Amino acid sequence: MGIVGSFRDAHFLAKHRQSNSTSPGTMAHEESSPPKPSHRFQRKGFSYERLIKYFFASNAGLTIVILVLIMVFLLKEGLGFFPGYRRELETYRIAGLEFVDISRKNLTAHEQLTSLLNRAYFAEINGKSNREMRRTQEASALFNAFSDRIAPTRDLILNNPQGETDANTGMLATLRANFEKQREKALEKLLPTPHLTAGERRQLIDSLRNRPAEAAEDPPLVTTLAAEFAAAQQKNSEPLQAYRSTIDTFESAGADLGAAIMEMTESVTATKEKLQSADILEKDRKTLLSAASNAKDPAEREKLRSEAEAALAEKPDIDTPIQALLERRPDCIRLHQELKTAAAGIISQIPQSLTESDANRLLKAARNAWPVFLADLDAAPQKINRWKHTDMVPLSDAILSFLTGKDWVTGGEWQDFYGILPLAVGSLMIAIVALVIAIPVGIGSAIYVNQFAARREQALVKPVIEFIQAIPSVVLGFVGILVFGTVLREISVMDSLQWVPGFPIEERLNIFTAGCLLALMSIPTIFSLAEDALNNVPSAYAEASEALGASHVQTTFRVMIPAAFSGILAAILLGFGRVIGETMVVLLVAGNRIKIPDFSAGLGTFFQPTHTLTGIIAQELGEVPLGSVHYRALFVVGILLFVVVLGINATAHHFVNRVKK
Amino acid sequence: MKAISTLLTSAALISMAGAQTLSLKGSDTLGAKLVPQLAEAFRAAGNNGVKFEIAAEGSTTAFPALANGTAQIGMSSRKVKDDERTFCKTKGVYLKEHPICHDMLSVIVNKNSPLNSLTKAQVSKIFTGQIKDWSEIGGAPGKISIYTRNTSSGTYKDWQKLAMGGRDYPSSSLKMAGNEQIAQEVAKNKNGIGYVGLAYSKTPGTKALVIDGVEPVAANAKKYAFARLCYLYAPDKLTAEADAFLTFIKSPAGQAIVQKVGFIPN
Amino acid sequence: MFDPEKLIRKGLPKGYLKDIVVRLFLGGITYLIVVIAVLLFAKIISDGAPALFTSKFPFVDTEFLTARNETLHVFDDLQGTRHQLPASRYNEYLAAHPGEAIYNEHTFSYSGGGIAGPIVGTALLTVGSIILALFFGVSAAIYLAEYAKQSPFIHAVRLAILNLAGIPSIVFGLFGFSVFVLAVPVITATPSDRTLLAIPLFLNDWVLSFQGWNSSLIAGCATLACMILPVIITASEESLRAVPQGFRDASLAMGGTRWQTIRKCVLPYSLPGILTSSLLAITRVAGETAPIMFTAAVAAKDDLPWQGLSNPFGILSSQVQALPYHIYTLAARIPNSEYTQRAQYGSVLVFLILVAILSSGSMVLRAKMRSNLKW
Repeated sequence: MGIVGSFRDAHFLAKHRQSNSTSPGTMAHEESSPPKPSHRFQRKGFSYERLIKYFFASNAGLTIVILVLIMVFLLKEGLGFFPGYRRELETYRIAGLEFVDISRKNLTAHEQLTSLLNRAYFAEINGKSNREMRRTQEASALFNAFSDRIAPTRDLILNNPQGETDANTGMLATLRANFEKQREKALEKLLPTPHLTAGERRQLIDSLRNRPAEAAEDPPLVTTLAAEFAAAQQKNSEPLQAYRSTIDTFESAGADLGAAIMEMTESVTATKEKLQSADILEKDRKTLLSAASNAKDPAEREKLRSEAEAALAEKPDIDTPIQALLERRPDCIRLHQELKTAAAGIISQIPQSLTESDANRLLKAARNAWPVFLADLDAAPQKINRWKHTDMVPLSDAILSFLTGKDWVTGGEWQDFYGILPLAVGSLMIAIVALVIAIPVGIGSAIYVNQFAARREQALVKPVIEFIQAIPSVVLGFVGILVFGTVLREISVMDSLQWVPGFPIEERLNIFTAGCLLALMSIPTIFSLAEDALNNVPSAYAEASEALGASHVQTTFRVMIPAAFSGILAAILLGFGRVIGETMVVLLVAGNRIKIPDFSAGLGTFFQPTHTLTGIIAQELGEVPLGSVHYRALFVVGILLFVVVLGINATAHHFVNRVKK
Repeated sequence: MKAISTLLTSAALISMAGAQTLSLKGSDTLGAKLVPQLAEAFRAAGNNGVKFEIAAEGSTTAFPALANGTAQIGMSSRKVKDDERTFCKTKGVYLKEHPICHDMLSVIVNKNSPLNSLTKAQVSKIFTGQIKDWSEIGGAPGKISIYTRNTSSGTYKDWQKLAMGGRDYPSSSLKMAGNEQIAQEVAKNKNGIGYVGLAYSKTPGTKALVIDGVEPVAANAKKYAFARLCYLYAPDKLTAEADAFLTFIKSPAGQAIVQKVGFIPN
Repeated sequence: MFDPEKLIRKGLPKGYLKDIVVRLFLGGITYLIVVIAVLLFAKIISDGAPALFTSKFPFVDTEFLTARNETLHVFDDLQGTRHQLPASRYNEYLAAHPGEAIYNEHTFSYSGGGIAGPIVGTALLTVGSIILALFFGVSAAIYLAEYAKQSPFIHAVRLAILNLAGIPSIVFGLFGFSVFVLAVPVITATPSDRTLLAIPLFLNDWVLSFQGWNSSLIAGCATLACMILPVIITASEESLRAVPQGFRDASLAMGGTRWQTIRKCVLPYSLPGILTSSLLAITRVAGETAPIMFTAAVAAKDDLPWQGLSNPFGILSSQVQALPYHIYTLAARIPNSEYTQRAQYGSVLVFLILVAILSSGSMVLRAKMRSNLKW
């Protein structure tokens, strides 16, 4: 059909071969009239043909325009971040917040140590009362699950107006019958209670069966077991009384410092607010004035102008509060020294070891942290004395604190910090999980499909994988949040799997969950590119290898894969680029905890929640005021993503091109 | 060249199109449940011609939208800040405040937690990260998972003021998109704790804690430690639809819905 | 003298076991993927089917596809019967049973009614962005395939295409937000004061104000179009190049101009290829969430985009609901319970079916094209 069509067109064109410099639109008129010598554009060196060409060229140029626009606008919004952030950090220093944070850091360390000691204490007690604890937990879990199941019908009875009409009594009877039915059903499927004796279980079930619908108090066994547990805790805490009082002494040792910090906090926040509102007023005055000069209605203009005059602020007095703050320096130093003396004395009173392994672990952690804590307290006076509110905050500080900052704290009452590190680490860890799964699977299946699979198998596997690629990422995120996360947690609490590091997992939404789903997303990318790479290996290689007597497996692994290596590497890199740039899955499934994971957990680190570069943009962009420092920070994150992903892709294409050469 | 002219033409057309919708933006606490139901009831009450658009991303989003005119009514679970008010003024929008209901922030834990009550000091210590394990306050041993709202939320800031003495959330906290998501995660995590508006405190699988001996129920609104007002903000010059809607909310029929959804009527 | 029998190894060859193990291992991995994919679909289909399909003719719950999205009210009446009603019917119920008390009421946002709004919104976004992308993309491809010679400009264009293709979708979201929502020019009488630049037009005091299109359908379409432009260009160029050189030569030899040649002899034969590949681009556009989050999508909207507008172009400036964003809302903003399952899995199933139709359509068409168009 193509040939016929082309002949027809050629015929058509032949008729008009005279008019090749005219526009297609004027052709119809020219059939009768003799062709004009030239078009009026042509005299100036233009023709429709050339115009058309330029039109197409400009469309091709559009891609460059878009790319440039992306870069320009990211930079336009993003570059304002660093001066803005610098100003925020300056306010942080001038207002004295930084000064307070020196002491606050030590107070937080003190609180953490207290918490560690406390946890060790309770771990010891609960460990010893483990049996009673299990029993009471099992009984109440069974009771809770039962109550949940009967709740709907029970609520109906409780809510029914207790009127004395006949209709009402009849209905109440129906409701009660429904309740009985539901209760029998609920009693059929009850949670296991391995730590209760058979008799106790029977007693509990009987009490549930005979429980009136209106009963509010817990069944007797549940209360008894809870009391038993409390008694066991009481008994087991007796030998630890000395330890308890040590902890209490330690806890109260920080009280004075805490109170001092509280006082200082109030004064510096007030100063900060003053500084900020002066900044805002100044900005407002300008916007009001400019709005006034733009306003068309004279009355409106007057109103805005008078508002602007009212907004005129005096320069806030920051010297007085800062001097007051500086006068507290000796006081602060004294409190630090007192805390240090107390802490140094207390370490010797803490028991060397406890009986429970959990408790010992926590105790050891506290002991290890102790010298660091003391050293910090030692260093504090020097830091306090050296601190000056007049120190300059150079722009490089803002940049450095963005790139290496460990905190991304926004929208808070105290001070906003924009540190990229927790987000970058989160993105990277998710990518690691995804690639560790996707590389072997993607490449393995590419090798299988390309080298071993029969044609029919190929016809089955390829469309399925291609279809996985078409699944929108938000659907995978949905599956992750509704199904996979929950399933993973249920698996993680199984007793037979407790040897796995990180199990049982604390959060169902974590690095591993997100990584698994992203692996599923990147497998098709890696698969199809790796398969292409294998396909592109000249068939002569394989033939030569087999002719030399190599087996199929040998040919595949010794000849084909090395030959396709660059392409496979490119596939992995492009998969990596896709994983880093993916948004919806990580937004929904990564858990959104902005913190560098605790690497001391070993492989269990991968079961902690995290936040990502892409996720933070998606989560926060819609809600920040335009033009604020926070808004600009998100664009800087975007620039970072842009650069990283382009870098990865450029490397990948470098490998692809090497294959082509 | 032609490309640009095409864009321009369509752009010119765009700005001439008039919007006949009533667009509400802001707080998730209000916008995820209460306002949609108010809107549905409002339409059912004979205002079928009014078309609603409701975006509930957080209180912070309300004011820029009001200033730009992309929303006619802003929902906020906190009072407007001075700089936000001035910002609106510069665009010729003079905000008027409409308190529509009271809310109580209830602390929720997993249903299977043995705890039933906490003191205000304990709540503060948990949310600032000083207490890390449930056993420290008499619960079943387990590391506490803190679920908070995201940073644009009015509730996030209210909670920091009301319950945490202005201190920062610990970095171990998980930031959730809305009240429902907090409730859902707490229902699925036996070591979870979070705070939600009163309307969300009855989510199955969770239970609301008694704070300092005061149960978070409507009758205790005056005694409860973490109570607050919720507002709608609108320009002083209202469109007819917006005015009718605000009047409806303040009417007994509207306030009945407020109560039914779980907030406390004025 | 020499025995050919000795050259043939008896029994199993030496590497046979290894061969089998490798084969099994790799095959196992491959089928693992297939099984996981099948399980995933099975889960969504089994949970979503009750929402979408009914036992009665026509076996599809048309209400789910055509009704507005509403709040779901779940309650018991006095008889203890449980009702699940979307808000409009709930209000009807209350009106029909005045004075009757109801119990155990729960409400679930976004879970009642149907998903007509998101479906229509996604369709509009897809169609709009594909039209834009096809227009600019095919034009660019014509230049690359028909006019271009090696030049720094072409080199830059190819580099730009390559780079655009790799940019993460969220960065496109940022770009669309800062350019189309906040910075592109509009003609208006009342410039907003976030405008970057206002040029008076001296006509009805209109100004050309660079203040953006706000979050709107057109801004979303433009963002998505930029995102798929590289895909469309690459696919179109490939299709154009697949047309044999002889066609062009014949036309040119007969005196046709280059434009006539392209219009009559190249484009018609490459069009099926272009359209087929753009179907794949549609799949991608329909599924993206990140770029439309800030440029076009809204979580709840009462009416369809074209209802209640004063002029037909208003549709371009209105925000729309979109299926992927709706699914995000359903996943992140509402609890997961037996009452919300219908909305949640139903929406996902509809979305998956849509994507499946599009992508399998493009697969089938591509296969058909390969067999049909052979020169």
